[in-house]
Amino acid sequence: MTAPLTNTAPTDPIVAMRDVDMAFAAGRVDGRPVVQQVLHKVSFEIGAGETLGLVGESGSGKSTAGRIVVGLYEPTGGSVTLFGQPITGPDRRANLANVRSRLQFVFQDPHAALNPRMRVGSSIAEPIEIAGRHSRKDRDDRVRQLLEMVGLPRDSADRFPHEFSGGQRQRIVIARALALEPGFVVCDEPVSALDVSMQAQIINLLMDLQARFGLSYLFIAHDLAVVRAISHRVAVLYAGSIVEVAPKPDLYARPQHPYTRALLDAVPRPDPWRERPPVIAGEVPSLLAPPPGCRFHTRCPHVMPRCRVDVPRLQSTGPGRLTACHLFDEGGIAAVPDHSSRPASHVER
Amino acid sequence: MAAAGRSNEPLVSIQDLTVQFRTDRGWTTAVEGVSFDIGDGDCVGVVGESGSGKSVTALSMLRLHARGTSRFPTGRVLHAGRDLLTAPERELRRIRGGDIAMVFQDPMSSLNPVLTICDQISETLRLHQGMSRPDARRRAIELLDLVRIADAPRRVDEYPHRLSGGMRQRVMIAIAIACRPRLLIADEPTTALDVTIQAQILELLRDLRAELGMAVMLISHDLGVIAEFARRVIVMYAGRVVEDAPVEVLFRKPLHPYTEGLMASMPSLDGADTATLYSIPGRIPDPDETIAGCRFGPRCSYAEPACSAVPPELVSVDGGHRVRCPPRTRTVTPTATGARQ
Amino acid sequence: MTDLSIRSVAVSPVLAPRRRFMLLRRLLAHRSFQIGAVLVLALTLAAILAPLTGVDPSSMRVRLRFRPPSEAFPFGSDNFGRDVLTRVLYGARVSLWIGFVVALLSGLCGAVLGVIAAQIRGLDAPLMRLMDALMSFPAILLALGITAALGPRMESVIIALTVAYVPAGVRIVRASALVVRELDYVQAARIAGAGNFRIMLRHILPNSVGPLLVHMTFVFAYSILAEAALSFLGVGVQPPTPSWGNIIAEGRDYATEAWWVMLFPGLGISLAALGLNLLGDGLRDVLDPRLKGTG
Repeated sequence: MTAPLTNTAPTDPIVAMRDVDMAFAAGRVDGRPVVQQVLHKVSFEIGAGETLGLVGESGSGKSTAGRIVVGLYEPTGGSVTLFGQPITGPDRRANLANVRSRLQFVFQDPHAALNPRMRVGSSIAEPIEIAGRHSRKDRDDRVRQLLEMVGLPRDSADRFPHEFSGGQRQRIVIARALALEPGFVVCDEPVSALDVSMQAQIINLLMDLQARFGLSYLFIAHDLAVVRAISHRVAVLYAGSIVEVAPKPDLYARPQHPYTRALLDAVPRPDPWRERPPVIAGEVPSLLAPPPGCRFHTRCPHVMPRCRVDVPRLQSTGPGRLTACHLFDEGGIAAVPDHSSRPASHVER
Repeated sequence: MAAAGRSNEPLVSIQDLTVQFRTDRGWTTAVEGVSFDIGDGDCVGVVGESGSGKSVTALSMLRLHARGTSRFPTGRVLHAGRDLLTAPERELRRIRGGDIAMVFQDPMSSLNPVLTICDQISETLRLHQGMSRPDARRRAIELLDLVRIADAPRRVDEYPHRLSGGMRQRVMIAIAIACRPRLLIADEPTTALDVTIQAQILELLRDLRAELGMAVMLISHDLGVIAEFARRVIVMYAGRVVEDAPVEVLFRKPLHPYTEGLMASMPSLDGADTATLYSIPGRIPDPDETIAGCRFGPRCSYAEPACSAVPPELVSVDGGHRVRCPPRTRTVTPTATGARQ
Repeated sequence: MTDLSIRSVAVSPVLAPRRRFMLLRRLLAHRSFQIGAVLVLALTLAAILAPLTGVDPSSMRVRLRFRPPSEAFPFGSDNFGRDVLTRVLYGARVSLWIGFVVALLSGLCGAVLGVIAAQIRGLDAPLMRLMDALMSFPAILLALGITAALGPRMESVIIALTVAYVPAGVRIVRASALVVRELDYVQAARIAGAGNFRIMLRHILPNSVGPLLVHMTFVFAYSILAEAALSFLGVGVQPPTPSWGNIIAEGRDYATEAWWVMLFPGLGISLAALGLNLLGDGLRDVLDPRLKGTG
C-alpha cells in the first residue's frame, strides 16, 4: 500500500452505488405509517484493488449500505452495480447469482459469524460446497490452503469455533470469505470486537491479502485510525447521507466537512499534551424526523441560514474530493479556516 | 472533618489483591497481586485489554462478584479504615453508591426498562439519604441538569428506551454522583458510544470531577481515552499490574515492553502513515494458562532467561513510576527522590 | 521494533489442546442430572428385565387374590390373583415406551415445523394459527377425542399425545429459530448463496434445538401421566396388556381392600416423572448459556 491506487474515483469501477435510498417501515404514528430514511441518495464507487473506507457513527447507515452492496437488502431507490451487472431492478436475482461468487462479507462479531455446531473446516468450505463445482478432496485442499493463508495451523479444520480466540475466529471468517477467490469483500467493522494487539494483526492480514490477490474492500468502521491504516479513499456518512469523499491523505490532513473535522477532533489521541479541541454538542438526529436542510446543521459550528433550508449536494472541491456542505458552494473553500486553527464562534455569511 | 490528617492517607488502598473464580476446571486466577492507591481527588486511568483483569479489579473493590463463585485468597482493599473484602455486607451496601460509586459500560442494560428515570435516581437518594419522594424528585432534576441533559423537568419522567445511548450514560452518571461519592469508578463508560458522544461524556466527567472534588478511576482499553483523561495510569496485563506512572511519564517514556507494544500497535491519526501496523506477536494468555515467570514473557522482545524462571516484582523507579520488568528497570538508574504519590 | 515481516506477524501460535465432550462431561457432573439419570435408567432396566420374574403377567390364581405384599407376591396380588410386581414391570415397558415415543415424535415434528415457521414467512402465520388451535384444547380432551375416534389402543394413545404436545415444541423451536435466523453466520450462508433448505437444515435447526431437548424430557414425563389419565377414562391401553395407567384404573374399584395395586404403579409413575424432571433440569442448566445458539 505504498502508492495510492487512484486519487480520483475509479474509471472502471467494480462496485457502483448510485443515489441509493433505503427506507424501513417503522410502524405507525397517529395512524399514518412512518418511515425511517436510513440512507439518502448515497453514491460511491470502488475500483479494482482499492479500499474505500466508509466511516460513520451510529445511525449513519453504514452497515445498511454494506448489506445493500452484497445484495442482502434491496434498496428502495437508486441502483447498485457489481462487476458491471446491476443487482437492483428487474434482473436482480439472476445478476446477483452471476456475481455471487465474486462477493464476500466479513462480519463484526467473530462470535456470531461462525456456526457453533459446524466444524471450522466445514464453515470455510461452505461457499465452495454451495457453488457445487469441486470435489470433496479439492474442497479439503482448498480449506487447508486458506487456513495457511490466514496464518492458522492446518489442523484447525476439525475443530469447533469455541476452541478459538476472537482474533483467530476472525481469521477463520476471513478464510471463509476468500474461499471462492472473490474480487470484492465488504468488511463490516471486522476489528472492532478485537483487542488492540489483535486488531493490528488482522489489518495487516487484510492488507497482505489485498496486495496478493488484488482484492477490493469496502471497509466499514467507526474507528478513524483503523480506517486510515487500510483505506485508499474514505467516504464519511452522517445520518444516512455521504458528507465527504476524499483520498485518504487529504481527508486526514485537510478535512473539509465540519462533521469530518468534528469527528477527527473528537477521537482521543494517546498524547496527553495535545490541546483538546472544543467538543461538539448534540446528537445524531432521529431518522424518523430528520431536520430540514442539512442534517448536520443542528450541531454544526459553522451553521448559516441557508443550511436550515437547503440540502447540500455533493460537489467537487478538489482533485478526487467531494463535499456536501454549503460552505463550499460556488467554490468558496476559502470561507473555512484551516484545520489547525479552531474558530470560536459561528461563521456568518 | 480533619482534612489535613486525612489527605495523607489514600482514599482507597488496594494491597496485593488476588481474585479467583470457580470454573469447571477448578479455581482460576483472574487477578493476582494487584496493588495501587487512589488518593482523594485523584484521576487514575486503568488500561488493559481483555483478560487484563481491570474490570475484575474494579468489581472487587466493591465486592460485587457473586459469593459462591469468587474468592479472594490474598489481599485487602482498604477504605476509611476498613477492609472492604471482609467488611459485613451491611457496611458495604452503605459504601456502594455512597462513598464509592460505579458506572458501567453498557447503558442499554444498566437501566431498568420498566422504571422511569426519576424512580431510578430517587432510589439511590432515598436509600442513602432517606429523602422523601418530592425532595428526591427535585434533586433528581438537579442532577439531570448537572449532567447536562436538556429539558430535565420533562425528561425525568421518561422511560429509558426513549433516551439515546449518550443520554442513558449521563443518567447512569447522575445516579452515581447522586450522593456525592468520594470515588467514582467508571468501567469503560464510553466504549459503547459514538466518538463524538464519547468526547462529550469524558468532558462531563472531567468537569464533574472538578466541581465535586471527587476522585475518578477510569477503566478503558483505549490509550487515547486514558491519555486525555487520566493524571496517572495503571497498565494491566493478564491479571497483573505491569506499569504504574504519571500520565506524562508513561507516554513520554514507557518502560514495560507491553506498554511499549500497545502504544506501537495503535493505528495513528496524525503521525506517519506506515505500510503495515506493528503488532505484538502472539496472543493474550487465557487466565488458566500457566506460564512460568513473567506472563508477558512469551511475547516479549526484551525477554531474558531469567524472565521465564521467576515472576518479576513491581519495582519503583523514579518519579512515582513502578514497573514490573527486571530487564527494563535495570537500564534505568533510579534517582534518589522523596517524591510520593 | 516496527520491522516485523507480515508472515511472522500473521501466523498465530499453536492452538490449545482439545478438550472434547465438554458438554457431556459437564452434564455428567451435574447433581440433578445424575440422580435423574439413575432413576430413569433403573426403571428402564427394570422394564427390560421384566421376564426375569419368571411369572406371566396375565396368569391368574384366583384363590390367591388380594394378597398383600409378601414373599410370594412382593407387590401383592390383584383382584384376579395376578402378580402385581410382574404386571408393574411389564406395565413399565408400555408406559415408558409410550413416553419415549411421544417425546421423540413430538420433538421431531416440533423441530421441523418450528424451523419452517421461522424461516419461511409465508407459512409462519398459518402454521402458528394451527398450533394455537391445537393448543386451545386441553391436552387430555384432545387425546380423549383422538383415541375415541381411532379406537383405544397403544398406537392411538401415542398419536393422540404426540398431536397434543407438538404445538408447544413448535413454539419453543420457532422462538429460538427466529433469533438464530438473524445471526451473522446465517447471513454469511445467504451471501454465499445458500437456499432455504440448506440454511434450515445445517444452520438453524442444530442451533435452535437446545431448549427443545429440555422440553422433551418434560414431555416424556407428561406423557406417562397423561397415559395414566387416559386409562382412568377407559380410553388408554386396554387390558389385559398392563400399563401403569390401567393397573391403577383397575385397582381403583377396590382401593380400600388392596391399596398395593394402586400404590406400586403410582410409585412407578412418580419416580419416572421425578427422574425425567431432574434430567431435564440438569440438561437445562448445562445447556443454558448455549440455548441461544451462539455457543
